[in-house]
Amino acid sequence: MNEIESNLRQRARSLLAEGKISCFIGWGPTRFPDRALPKFIFKPEEAEQLVYNEHCLNLLAKYTLAFQYSNEVIGLAARGCEARAINRLIADGSLKRDNLYLVGIHCEGMKENGSPAEKCQYCCHRDPVIYDELLGEPAGGPENLPRFAEVEELENMDADARYEYWQGQFAKCIRCYACRNICPACNCLECYTEQYRTGWQGKQANTLENSLFGFTRAYHIGDRCIECGECERACPMDISLMKLNRKLVKDVQELFGGAEAGLSAEDIHALGSYRKEDLEEFM
Amino acid sequence: MARVGVFICHCGSNIASVIDVEEVARAAGELPGVVHAVTNKYACSINGQEAMKQAITDHKLDRLVIASCTPRMHESTFRKMLTQTSVNPYMLEIANIREQCSWVHKDKEKATAKAIDLVRMSLAKVLKNQPLFTSTIPVHKKCLVVGGGIAGIQAALDVAEAGYEVTLLERESSLGGKMVMLDKTFPTLDCSACISTPKMAEAGAHPKIKLMTSCEIAAVTGYIGNFQVTIRQNPRYVNHDICTGCGFCEEKCPTKLKSEFDQGLGMRKAIYKLFPQAVPAKPVIDAEHCKKLTTGKCGVCAKLCPLACIDYEDKESFVTDTFGAIILATGYQLIDWPGSYPEYGQNADLISGLQFERLVNASGPTEGHIQRPSDGKEPKSVVIVKCVGSRDPAKAKAYCSRACCMYAAKHAHQILEKIEGAQVYIFYIDVRTPGKGYEEFYDKTRADGAVYIRGRVSKIYEEGGKLICKGEDSLIGKQVKVEADLVILETAMEPSPGSKETAALAGVSTDNDGWLNEAHPKLRPVETQTAGVFLCGTAQGPKDIPDTVAQASAAAAKVLGLLAKDNLETSPMISAVDTVKCCGCGFCEKVCPVKAITMVEIPGVYNGKRVTRGVAQVNSGLCTGCGTCAAACRTGCIDLLGFTNKQLLEEVDALWQI
Repeated sequence: MNEIESNLRQRARSLLAEGKISCFIGWGPTRFPDRALPKFIFKPEEAEQLVYNEHCLNLLAKYTLAFQYSNEVIGLAARGCEARAINRLIADGSLKRDNLYLVGIHCEGMKENGSPAEKCQYCCHRDPVIYDELLGEPAGGPENLPRFAEVEELENMDADARYEYWQGQFAKCIRCYACRNICPACNCLECYTEQYRTGWQGKQANTLENSLFGFTRAYHIGDRCIECGECERACPMDISLMKLNRKLVKDVQELFGGAEAGLSAEDIHALGSYRKEDLEEFM
Repeated sequence: MARVGVFICHCGSNIASVIDVEEVARAAGELPGVVHAVTNKYACSINGQEAMKQAITDHKLDRLVIASCTPRMHESTFRKMLTQTSVNPYMLEIANIREQCSWVHKDKEKATAKAIDLVRMSLAKVLKNQPLFTSTIPVHKKCLVVGGGIAGIQAALDVAEAGYEVTLLERESSLGGKMVMLDKTFPTLDCSACISTPKMAEAGAHPKIKLMTSCEIAAVTGYIGNFQVTIRQNPRYVNHDICTGCGFCEEKCPTKLKSEFDQGLGMRKAIYKLFPQAVPAKPVIDAEHCKKLTTGKCGVCAKLCPLACIDYEDKESFVTDTFGAIILATGYQLIDWPGSYPEYGQNADLISGLQFERLVNASGPTEGHIQRPSDGKEPKSVVIVKCVGSRDPAKAKAYCSRACCMYAAKHAHQILEKIEGAQVYIFYIDVRTPGKGYEEFYDKTRADGAVYIRGRVSKIYEEGGKLICKGEDSLIGKQVKVEADLVILETAMEPSPGSKETAALAGVSTDNDGWLNEAHPKLRPVETQTAGVFLCGTAQGPKDIPDTVAQASAAAAKVLGLLAKDNLETSPMISAVDTVKCCGCGFCEKVCPVKAITMVEIPGVYNGKRVTRGVAQVNSGLCTGCGTCAAACRTGCIDLLGFTNKQLLEEVDALWQI
């Protein structure tokens, strides 16, 4: 891991020095030894501030949106999740591939509070799926992890119990929108929740409006979720957002088939595309 | 402050017999915003319309709610009426109290209460209506016809005769399609080639028709009145600008192949005209089989050609042209029966109806003598099997191919006429002969001696030089075996290969069987859901020649109606994008079934910097107002004018507010 860190610093330094990129986004240290946060590096000499260790929990991809619409080229450390999120953002028209320089790294999964991070638990994409250069060799990772096990548990509950469960979850929501802000699939300029009087989504933090927000958010990303788990990690109220997301991912896969989201920048979204030959068996 | 007029129609007794219309008018009159509420015996009549116009003047109305029949029936009538008043035609809402109320309820009291609710909902919506204005788009007065069979030829000729330019596109190297392959046409038994080749020649020589053979559509953009069509010219390896069609090349070409035109029963060369009367009467090279093109050795045609027309280096090329209208006449093919009916086996004397057409055709490989393909002998006993692939959902197609009953009778007639002492057995499920002179023809065939056996053939096999057809005679409930020298399978029609893809390029959908969808099966039979694109012939579904030609002329009439206009009025009830909120994700572009949305770059400000960013733009000529994009937009920056989210929410909310 230290080798990756020194390579990252070296690559960021020379890319900035050569003028190939105007900013490099990686992780930097914090005052806590078990915590690293995103770090924007603008000058070659600042590259020494980059770190890479098992505490690099944040997904970096969405920070590139700070440079959305500019023609600057941004460097980015890209693990499997970052690379898929970048594909997501390119497919959604938020970023241009030409404006990115991806330094690919292999990831063995991160740690949170000393134990393996929840969000990395079902990750099958430990190598980046796109990159401009790869530090080290692709090392693969586990396959066919039971990522829908919790969804199936929910599916086996009866409707009333499921209703109770989700009402309980959304009763906790404080509508801070952290889940939305951190999500690489939530990339609208102005979220519908921010709009003045949509007429149907109230801003009150009560169970009814929270549920409506929760389900709408899930539907907005359901066919595009790359399962990075950032929403659940960011949620201060411990709402099981990934269960809901994975339920939609599972439904979309069962109904429409197709590859996992984010594996390509030409992603076809099941709910966001129109093909005349689409099957309509579910209707 | 809005001044709404509410008009409750009696529709004679259609509405008034169930709903207390006076009570509805009274209740409506008390609602906020309503300044005038009355009933009317027939709102759509001249008297009704005059009364509404008068009320608009007298009460200074600025919007209307008309409670009457479905808006599909008279919304356009009332909009037209409003164009003669001070009220914008789109400041109108129709409450459907007939189809959705009086026709489906009996309880007068409850129906009246429901009618009041429906009026209240329409009122809530009309209060949020905004005036909308139509715009116009110019019409490019040129028509593209895709497919050079009889349907395409007829449509092209009709449009060209009216004085408009037509481009007639054909994938094969000649016009003609399937009709020119046939021998005689039922029920009049006139020679198919004699009536279709003059039309081909006429189309080929018409000053208003530009003929493009060996061509296919590569891309279609634009909209009604202004389609930009990219046409792919496939390589012909013969320069048709110089070639005179002398035929030396064809004569001397050493490569002999089975002729597709003769359905594999005759031969052709590697440089060939599709058939002797081909239009244009010039050859092309079959690149797959030409020795020069596959091995580099030969070049006989180039050596012999007196005008040096042969160009082995020919490549596909593309041309783009603008058309105001498109007619799809992509035709049909016959199903590949061996795939669906392995129990019929494979035998040279087991042929399709189209093969028989070539066999009995004076210009066919046998010069019209009916001979068994296996040994050239005249068959004495012939079995005709109908519905091979048609009306058989388990094995092939569920639909009836419509023309087979008649051409089976024609085949029987031709055999009985040409071969003395011949026996013809026809296996059938039903005999369907709806058409002028059709039933009479069928009767005549039976009188000629054709034996009709009601039942399907379950197996065909060879025994002692004969083909044994095993089947059931369901009228006597017994198994039958018929010995035959020749078996003709009247196979089902299916859409021609690639028609689905071509239709998709033009924004036309197909049904489960691949036939092109018309806009309405009864009232808009030659239009499609994409404005400006029409269809005719077997592209739309199986049919015979008279129906095909009639439909082709119908499509031409529709095109003429369009091309006669200089400008088109577009509906203002289309999608509108709020570019401030639009994030340029392009989902709307992907879901739009008519390709009405494109992404464009506009200047904007982001993070305090001037930037250009992508946003969606709606083409008012193309947008049909289906609303799919509005539903797909996560940001909610697309609204359907006339059905905005606000209007619909108000309408729904009104239902709860008692």
